Amino acid sequence: MNEKRTAPDRRDVLRAGALGTATALASPVLARGGFENKTKHVILVAFAGGVRTRETLGTPENVPNLKRMSDEGVTYPRARTNNLGHFGATLSLFTGISEARGIRENTRGEDPTVFEYVRKDLALSSSEVWVSTSGGAQQSNYSASYHREYGPQYGANTLDGDGIFNAEFKSILDSLGRPREMKSRELELLEKMRASIGTGSEDQGVNTPETFAKVERYILDELKGGTADFRGTGSSDAKALRVARNLLPVFRPRLLGVVLRDADVAHRNFNAYVEVIRRNDAMLGELWAAVQSDPELAESTSIFVVPEFGRDADLNSRRGLDHGDGSDDLNYVPLVCWGPDFAGSRTVLEEVRTTDVCASVCGLLGAKARYARSKHLPRLMG
Amino acid sequence: MSRSTGLLVFSLVMLAIHAGARQVDDDIRTEAVPAYVLDARRLRTAFLDLYGRPPFTDERRVWEGRGMSELLDVALRDPAFWQNWFDEELYYFLLIENFRPTSERVLSVPEALAEGGLCVRDALHRIVISASFDRRNPGNDTFVTVVMEQLLGLTVQKVPRELEIGKRLYDGGQGNFLGRAGSSQADVVRIAVEDRRMLQQFLKRGCGRILRREATGRELAQWSRRVGKSGQKYNDLLRDWFLSEDYDERLATRAAQPNRIFIRSLFVDLMDRLPGEDESRRMRNALDGLADAGPLRSVIARLLVDSGRAAIPEKANITDPTRWITSLFERYLGRAPLPEETAVFARAFHDPECRPATIVYALVSHPEYQTW
Repeated sequence: MNEKRTAPDRRDVLRAGALGTATALASPVLARGGFENKTKHVILVAFAGGVRTRETLGTPENVPNLKRMSDEGVTYPRARTNNLGHFGATLSLFTGISEARGIRENTRGEDPTVFEYVRKDLALSSSEVWVSTSGGAQQSNYSASYHREYGPQYGANTLDGDGIFNAEFKSILDSLGRPREMKSRELELLEKMRASIGTGSEDQGVNTPETFAKVERYILDELKGGTADFRGTGSSDAKALRVARNLLPVFRPRLLGVVLRDADVAHRNFNAYVEVIRRNDAMLGELWAAVQSDPELAESTSIFVVPEFGRDADLNSRRGLDHGDGSDDLNYVPLVCWGPDFAGSRTVLEEVRTTDVCASVCGLLGAKARYARSKHLPRLMG
Repeated sequence: MSRSTGLLVFSLVMLAIHAGARQVDDDIRTEAVPAYVLDARRLRTAFLDLYGRPPFTDERRVWEGRGMSELLDVALRDPAFWQNWFDEELYYFLLIENFRPTSERVLSVPEALAEGGLCVRDALHRIVISASFDRRNPGNDTFVTVVMEQLLGLTVQKVPRELEIGKRLYDGGQGNFLGRAGSSQADVVRIAVEDRRMLQQFLKRGCGRILRREATGRELAQWSRRVGKSGQKYNDLLRDWFLSEDYDERLATRAAQPNRIFIRSLFVDLMDRLPGEDESRRMRNALDGLADAGPLRSVIARLLVDSGRAAIPEKANITDPTRWITSLFERYLGRAPLPEETAVFARAFHDPECRPATIVYALVSHPEYQTW
């Protein structure tokens, strides 16, 4: 990793504060002092569900892969967050704005997400920006906002591994049999009929007809694969990370979000919570290995890993861990950044905010988080 | 007796009772064309709103051309209507999948509401006090926050003191939560359910769902008075809503169908039956995980159309293709086809490579079909 970095004089310039927060707000680009960034792809993992530092970097044996990533990249051990509920706090990572949202709110937000910023500014198709989720209906709202300048036409494709890739759903589809192959003439007639229906003023969704067909094919292929076979505690998260890995070679997303949530089992079962963290770290390692084993992605992919918030300092009466005591364990989480443009083996003790991820990802890819209240992460670049 | 046959029998019996009662009125006044007549659009939409599915073939025959008021007389006493209401509420609280309630006390809610033995406020109380709700919202912070947000529409960050008091009650301590004394988790729920904001929040949601617009503060206050303290007259308000100009305006709009409604519609439209609970749940969960469910909806529609189980006639048996095509538009889209649509579809029909299934698939995979 370190060999790929730019000349030290550039680094010195950056360290001197050329990319300090004030500058970052003025400039949309997070760059290495005049050099073009190597990063062309970003994977943003919301290691969510409420995860404390104590069980991650505080206990390295739980997270050997995250620890290695931290050792090779930049770590912010004091990333400030707010207990806005899992949904709101995770959405804040993507919008760069700390906003209260209902815990069970099941609707899109008002502020543009990092996915919309990147898609719009880089003119990307929906098949180049993805979010792999583990939390069902609610998490598909991370795709896009209601913002009038952005919205679904700039949204990410989201895919919930647990909803789609499970044996029961597969068996239902299997029971219906295989669709009949259509000949070209029949397909032509079908398209003519479809094109004739309605006024054409239907809402524009995330996909164009081309990406629609591509996603349809991908889903059918995935249903034949082994992602449905994960079971047990943490299986939703494992599927989300596996889906993310499988998306890489097919779509080569420019921006890939992964949203986890199984760690919330901690409310009732501390040991299961630790088990989830360990399993997720192993799956994160698998995703990381997939990046490193692909010559192009290895040279051009940056990864951010951050929980949405931590958990209480003390166990509750059920010997679990809630999240609501206002302690540092709850309000500070570690943020780990790994990638070809970042400094190596650097720990930045300065307090940052988890919402700064939004502006930093945008800046790295050349987009601007116009409405975010988010700064570029300090001393990130190598 | 299948579920669909049972519902039809229920509708016919209720309709007969209603027709008998109306006879008295007929002696003293002339019956004109019913107000809010159930044409293709209103019939489909009303069934989707009331039952969460389009009408079955037999129901269409019974209800086409009748008045909305008659349908409401039947539906509001029909357990199937309340089952749909119940399912919508569970989804609102995200009590789905492993968190779906299993206790008899909660599962009997639709039946009790249909019989008039339970009012909506107490029905919501049963849902929120259930073990499933507790499991879904573990820990004092999450539980009290969700109660305050989902039941009362409060933003807890704006009332942190109430949240702290609620958490104390949850943990068995004493306190004055929302102005009422309590000392337990059950008290948190009871106090919230009895708070006047609970019904207002519930009515606000209902207005958004049925009339598709924001309710004003004044309306909410009026409606709260209309339905009574415990919501015992909620049916009267529902009648007002469905028989209003507001509902007419809502019929002129189209919005994306939720995945649950889409799946149920697809099964009723293609197979004249509802999906099994497991089929419905699994398919909805799969669709819910996609920001754009279109590609997977298309896969499911294609599988159903080609499954050999869809009620699609043989081409040779369709003697009047234009009429058949018109009937499909009315049934699936709730409207007659435009002349240019008829022309394109009729031309396609006469092509040897076009199967009736191709025509059905063109309609049910189109974005318009996925709206209501």
